Amino acid sequence: MKDPQRFTFLVGGEAGHGVRTAGTVASDLFGELGRYIFQMDDYQSLIRGGHNFSVVSSSVNPIFSQYLRADLVVALDARSCDLHREHLSAQGILVYNSDAVNEDISGAVGLPMSSLAKGYSYADLRLGVGAVAVLAAATGIARSTVEDFIGRKYLRDAANNVTYALAVYDEASKSLGVRRQLEKGDAPARSATGNEAIGLGAYAGGLDMYFAYPMTPASSVLHYLASHAEDFGITVVHPESEIAVMNMAIGAASVGARTAVGSSGGGGALMEEAMSLAGMSETPILCILSSRPGPSTGVPTYTAQGDLSFALNQGHGEFPRIVASPGTVEEAYRVSAELMSLAWAFQTPALLLTEKHLSESRMTVAVLADFVPGPPTRMDESTEGFGRYADTSDGVSPMRFAPSGATIKWTSYEHDEKGITTEDPDAISLMQEKRHRKRDTVVAHLRTCRCVNRFGDKGPLIITYGSTTMSVREALAAGGIEARVVQPVFLEPFPDWEFDELAGEEAIVVEQSCDAQLATLLTRRTGLNVIASILQYDGRPFDPEDLARRLKEVA
Amino acid sequence: MDDLATYAENTWCPGCGNFGILNAFKKAVRQLESSGVIRTDIAITAGIGCHAKIFDYLDLSGFYSIHGRSMATAQGMKLANPRLKVVAFAGDGDAYGEGIAHMVFAAKRNADITVIVHNNGTYGLTTGQYTPTSVKGFKGPSTPQGSVEDPFNPLALMLSAGATFVARGYPVKLDHLSDLIVRAIMHEGFSLVDVLQPCVTFNNTYQRYNQSVAELELVPESFEDSLAAARRTDRLLIGVMRDVQKESFGRSLLGDRNPVAGRVTKERRLSAIAAALG
Repeated sequence: MKDPQRFTFLVGGEAGHGVRTAGTVASDLFGELGRYIFQMDDYQSLIRGGHNFSVVSSSVNPIFSQYLRADLVVALDARSCDLHREHLSAQGILVYNSDAVNEDISGAVGLPMSSLAKGYSYADLRLGVGAVAVLAAATGIARSTVEDFIGRKYLRDAANNVTYALAVYDEASKSLGVRRQLEKGDAPARSATGNEAIGLGAYAGGLDMYFAYPMTPASSVLHYLASHAEDFGITVVHPESEIAVMNMAIGAASVGARTAVGSSGGGGALMEEAMSLAGMSETPILCILSSRPGPSTGVPTYTAQGDLSFALNQGHGEFPRIVASPGTVEEAYRVSAELMSLAWAFQTPALLLTEKHLSESRMTVAVLADFVPGPPTRMDESTEGFGRYADTSDGVSPMRFAPSGATIKWTSYEHDEKGITTEDPDAISLMQEKRHRKRDTVVAHLRTCRCVNRFGDKGPLIITYGSTTMSVREALAAGGIEARVVQPVFLEPFPDWEFDELAGEEAIVVEQSCDAQLATLLTRRTGLNVIASILQYDGRPFDPEDLARRLKEVA
Repeated sequence: MDDLATYAENTWCPGCGNFGILNAFKKAVRQLESSGVIRTDIAITAGIGCHAKIFDYLDLSGFYSIHGRSMATAQGMKLANPRLKVVAFAGDGDAYGEGIAHMVFAAKRNADITVIVHNNGTYGLTTGQYTPTSVKGFKGPSTPQGSVEDPFNPLALMLSAGATFVARGYPVKLDHLSDLIVRAIMHEGFSLVDVLQPCVTFNNTYQRYNQSVAELELVPESFEDSLAAARRTDRLLIGVMRDVQKESFGRSLLGDRNPVAGRVTKERRLSAIAAALG
């Protein structure tokens, strides 16, 4: 069922046309109308030229995905015109920059957007401003509103941006007219990307220091936190490599700073040796892994879920790992905060697995709900006899941080309770068992938490996770499909218990992987009977209408 | 009773140069204490190798890190709590091989840590392979015909990277080495003490060093003179080759802020989040 209130705006152009900013400003425009938004930026790994587009779907109802079939396409260059003219909804309209396209396109509206920008500095960059003006004209937004809005949103050289926007607006009003008046809603005019929410969540969970080396699509966590370092009162460091990142962060954590690190697959691989160090030394640390299609360099600015097995098995050797993957921007905040809290409760690395599609997509967010902190960090208050690795019934040793009256020895070697190296067989077994017991303690805690989300109460069973959860939820809405969706948020320790009641049931698994890693995991860990896998591994997120069609084929 | 010792059994070879480094370091700690430094404010890290056993032999807090990373661990500790005086012990394989990037960048950014390199020109604990500072022709299990690589001069390298304090010591000259360590720890910014450490089992350099080591009387005034001192080959100079003042990385980044002492309250976090979201 198409949501009659849904409206999708797509702006395409070259890198350097201000396409991504236009998408974000369009999101804000919808937001000011009280509409929910979902913005997805499709951009390439280059700085100038190529093809970028930003698509913003909005509705008065909550929306969980962009739609590729747009109601308004603004093509700033010829390539966008060619690529997106097929992506129009039934009543959709194509507006193109007639200065860049050497033909008259029937049924479409050409506007001399480049000519109108002539005379301004950075004329190309202004084209995105023009795209927003076209959107405003097509949706009947008043000229005075546009004047005010553009002035507020395009602060750099605002006066010229406003003049240019109004010139485009006037042209568009003449040749395009009002195509669709948008209904106002009551959504909060607040949006965030997944990476912003991850950064905010970590901060809410106590983040003091963030260490990262740039790697798309995780870099925007680094950029966002760096831009807020002062007002948040945190420290953000970009050292020489991911290896330095992880080891510095571990060092900082060992003296009491709550730290996080972030990267994509390649950087995550470089951190693995120190991930194992965190496991052995029982150092709490939050690790953010945002996936792109791999292996290796892969496709840097696109999305995939090919790192599931990698994420679940970070670091060599046996130690407890906690891995969770959020399904929406709001959930990214909660999961990030909770993982930070759990890392400190259980003194072991916690990993937030996400994908470009969540990291870099923008969504309406309500007030970010408070998270549920894990058990409090256990601190030692004894006066003597402190041992960093004191054997305890649940495997969690009370901590102290230098400077302290006690000697505190963190170590990568197998060790005794004081942290002194040992090769004694009994001492080795004691510590192996302590770490193993700690994993049992994590499981016991997770059993008291919400580890799985469930949507819907009848119809076929669909299992999905991470950002694909949003695609599935929107596909069900778009296709009018009734189904039960189960989304494991925690993936390690895997919440088997949440699947007990589903044993023997047939399940459809939806994921952005070629090897069907989630399906394999479910088959191994649950009694589910996976009857179909719906996979996509071309770097693009599912389109809800396409996914709905594929679900109907197998459901 | 040695209150800087632990119950860990010492397993260095008899005659190992590491004993001199351990004793010189303990002497340095006591001297620092006598000049007002609080012992518990000193934190240590170590890499992996024979050198790193010093971590277990010293009753001081810190982190027994992984191979090549003790300098990175140390920088994290120092940034998180600038009150600490952080000393990273490293072998020549750690500092000049596996972890050389951390050395170069710690010097470049003038991170306020002290690195003591137990430079014995061989991987002792893994049975005597050649290292970045082994002489050309060094025969070890990975180079049975002799290493075909020239060694590099770590002091010249670190000077070029911007190190603000560079020294070379020799454990046989224990008081001299101890004094270098004190000065290095008191230096605000990156400090390196490269120690000519004989390995009695795989690279016994005592005789060579006893003949060629000479003390440098004064700190060279110019960068070029520092470099020349580091590069001398007729005599192996020990002493401080460079000692200049420059704002440290931590001070530039944090000012007077101490991340762990000044942790932000939950209330302030939630209001900052609300403000950031608008």
